Amino acid sequence: MAQNGSKGVKESPKRKMRYFEARIIENRALGNGYFVLRMGGCDSLAQSRPGQFIMLRGDWGRDPLLPRPVSLLSVAPDGRADLLAKAIGRGTRLLEMASPGTRVAVLGPLGNAFPEPTPGSLDLLVAGGVGLPPLFMQAELASRRGMVDRCEIIYGGRTSRDLVLLGEMRGMGLSTCLATEDGSVGRRGRVTAELEARIDHHLAANRHQKLRVFACGPREMLWAVARIAEPHAIECFLSMEEQMACGIGVCLGCAIPARSRPFRYACSDGPVFLASDLVIPPTAGHPAEGTP
Amino acid sequence: MTAAPIDIAGAEGPSLKAHCGGIDFRNPVMTASGTFGYGKEFDGLFPLSSLGGLVTKGISPQPRFGNPAPRICETASGMLNSIGLENVGVEGFATVKLPFLRTCGTKVLVNFFGTTFDEYVDCGERLGKLEGVDGLEMNVSCPNIKAGGIEFGREPKVLGDLVRACRKVIAKPLWVKLTPNTSDIVALARACAENGADAVSVINTITGMAIDAITRRPRLATIFGGLSGPAIKPIALRMVYQIHRARLGIPICGIGGIQSGLDAVEFFLAGASTVQVGTQNFIDPASAERIVREVEEFCRQNAISDLRELVGTLKTKP
Repeated sequence: MAQNGSKGVKESPKRKMRYFEARIIENRALGNGYFVLRMGGCDSLAQSRPGQFIMLRGDWGRDPLLPRPVSLLSVAPDGRADLLAKAIGRGTRLLEMASPGTRVAVLGPLGNAFPEPTPGSLDLLVAGGVGLPPLFMQAELASRRGMVDRCEIIYGGRTSRDLVLLGEMRGMGLSTCLATEDGSVGRRGRVTAELEARIDHHLAANRHQKLRVFACGPREMLWAVARIAEPHAIECFLSMEEQMACGIGVCLGCAIPARSRPFRYACSDGPVFLASDLVIPPTAGHPAEGTP
Repeated sequence: MTAAPIDIAGAEGPSLKAHCGGIDFRNPVMTASGTFGYGKEFDGLFPLSSLGGLVTKGISPQPRFGNPAPRICETASGMLNSIGLENVGVEGFATVKLPFLRTCGTKVLVNFFGTTFDEYVDCGERLGKLEGVDGLEMNVSCPNIKAGGIEFGREPKVLGDLVRACRKVIAKPLWVKLTPNTSDIVALARACAENGADAVSVINTITGMAIDAITRRPRLATIFGGLSGPAIKPIALRMVYQIHRARLGIPICGIGGIQSGLDAVEFFLAGASTVQVGTQNFIDPASAERIVREVEEFCRQNAISDLRELVGTLKTKP
C-alpha cells in the first residue's frame, strides 16, 4: 500500500547499543525446559531497562543462521546479565545445552522499556509462561527503588512446572498471584481470569486508584489482557514478540499492525506498545475462555 | 639484528581499489539493499567509511508500508523474506535519510523500483538528481501489475526497454540488480548491457516457500518469499560466472550468501569486480568491515598486490 508524502518519516534515533562478545558463566536448569543463562562481560547492558532485549548468537555455524531475540531478565553493574528461556526451537535448545565458558555474540540493549514504577500507580504485571523476564525485571527495579508494594505479579502457565523463579520474586517482597490451567498451583484457569479478579479487587478497595497493566506472554493472552483493561480505561502496555532477523529496524520482519500507522516494529518501535495503538483482532482472546 | 620481513605486496599493502559500473570504490565490499537499512542503523557498530559502498533499501516514488506478518522465516542456512518493499519514498529519503548518508564517508548507491514502467522512470530520474547519491541500482524483481504480476526483470525484452527508458533520464551510474528466477541469466544481463546499464548486481533473492507441518500453514503470510543467505551462494556464483564467461563487457557486482573474505574472493574469481554483503549483516552486524579485512589478508597471504588481478581468473582448464 502507498501513502503520499514523507509525513511521519523519522530519522532513526541514536542508540546506545553495543555489539560485543559475552561469556556464559552459569546455566541453571529450572525444569520443564526452562533455564536461566547467566552471562559475564555484559557491562554495556548494565543500564538496560525492563522490556529491553538483546540479539544473541552462539558459534552455531550456518544452522541455525540468525541470532535470537531474548528479553533481559536481570542485569547487574558488575557486567552480569541473566536471561530466562525455554527450550522450544533449535536456537533455544542450543542455548539450553551451552556450558559455562561458552562465548556468545550479543547486540544490545535493544528496544524500548515499560514505564518506570511510580508511587502514584499500582502496576499489575501479567506474565504468561516464558514471557516472565521483562516483568521480573520491572519488579526488581521497583524493589530496588523501594516501591515493590506499587506492583504485583499475576503469573500464569499450563502447570506449576511452567511457573519459575517464584522464590526469587517472593524474596523481593513481591506480591504474587498465580494461575495454572490444570489448577496445580494458584487459581485454576487462565492468567487473564486472575487479572480480572485482581482488577475487581483493587477497584473495590479504592475506586480512584490508578492502575496500570504491563503484560508479556503469548499473543492471544496479550489480546485478552488488552480487552480486559480497556473497559476500565486502565493504561495497558504489551511487550510484543515477532520473528526478527536484525533487532535494529533493518530487516523489517517484525511488523505489527498498529493504529497510528499501518505497521510498527517490535524491535525499533517496541517491543513495548500501548495496547491502544495496536490493532487487536476482534475475535481473539476471549478472557473467559478456558476458565471455570 | 634480523632483516625486516619483506612484504611482497609492498609497504602500502595490497590495493583493494575497485572500479565497477562507473564508480571508483575504496575497496570492493559493499552492503546489499534491504539488509543495511539507510546506513544510519549501523552507525556506531563500525565506521561506515571502512566500506567500499552501501546500497540503500529500495526506494519507490511514494512510501510503502509492506506486507502483513509473518514476513520472515529462517530456513536451512538461509532465510525467506516477504517484506513487501516497504520504504520511505523518494521525498522521505531525500529529506530524512540522505543527509546522514552524505556524511558517512562511503559510496552510496540507491536501490529503486516502481510498480509501473512510468514509476520506474520517474523514481530513477528524481533520485538520480540528488546530491550525495553516487549511483542507482534498479530493482527489477517487482511484479509488473499490467503484465499479470510477472516480474519486470524476467523477460529480456521488457527488462531491456525498462533499462533504456531509465538510462535516458539518469546521468549517474545505473546498475541493474538481476533476478535469479530465470532460466537464462545471461540473456537478462545482455539486455542490460545492450541498453546502457553500467553494471549488473547478481543476484537478488530466489523465490521459495516454507511450510509449518504442524499447523499446515505457510510460514510467510504471502506464502512465497525471497531466499537469501549462504544457502544461495552456489547459485549466485554460477550466475556471476555465466555472465562473466559470456563477455558482455558489463561489470558484475556479486551478491549471494557472502559471509567471509574467502567467500568474496570466490566471487572475484568468478568474475565479479565488487561484492555486496546481505543477510550476513543480520547474522553478524559488523561483518562487512571484517570481510574487507579478510579480503586484504587474503591478498597479503597470496602475494596479490592489486585485487583487480583476481577478477575473472577462475582456472577451468585441467
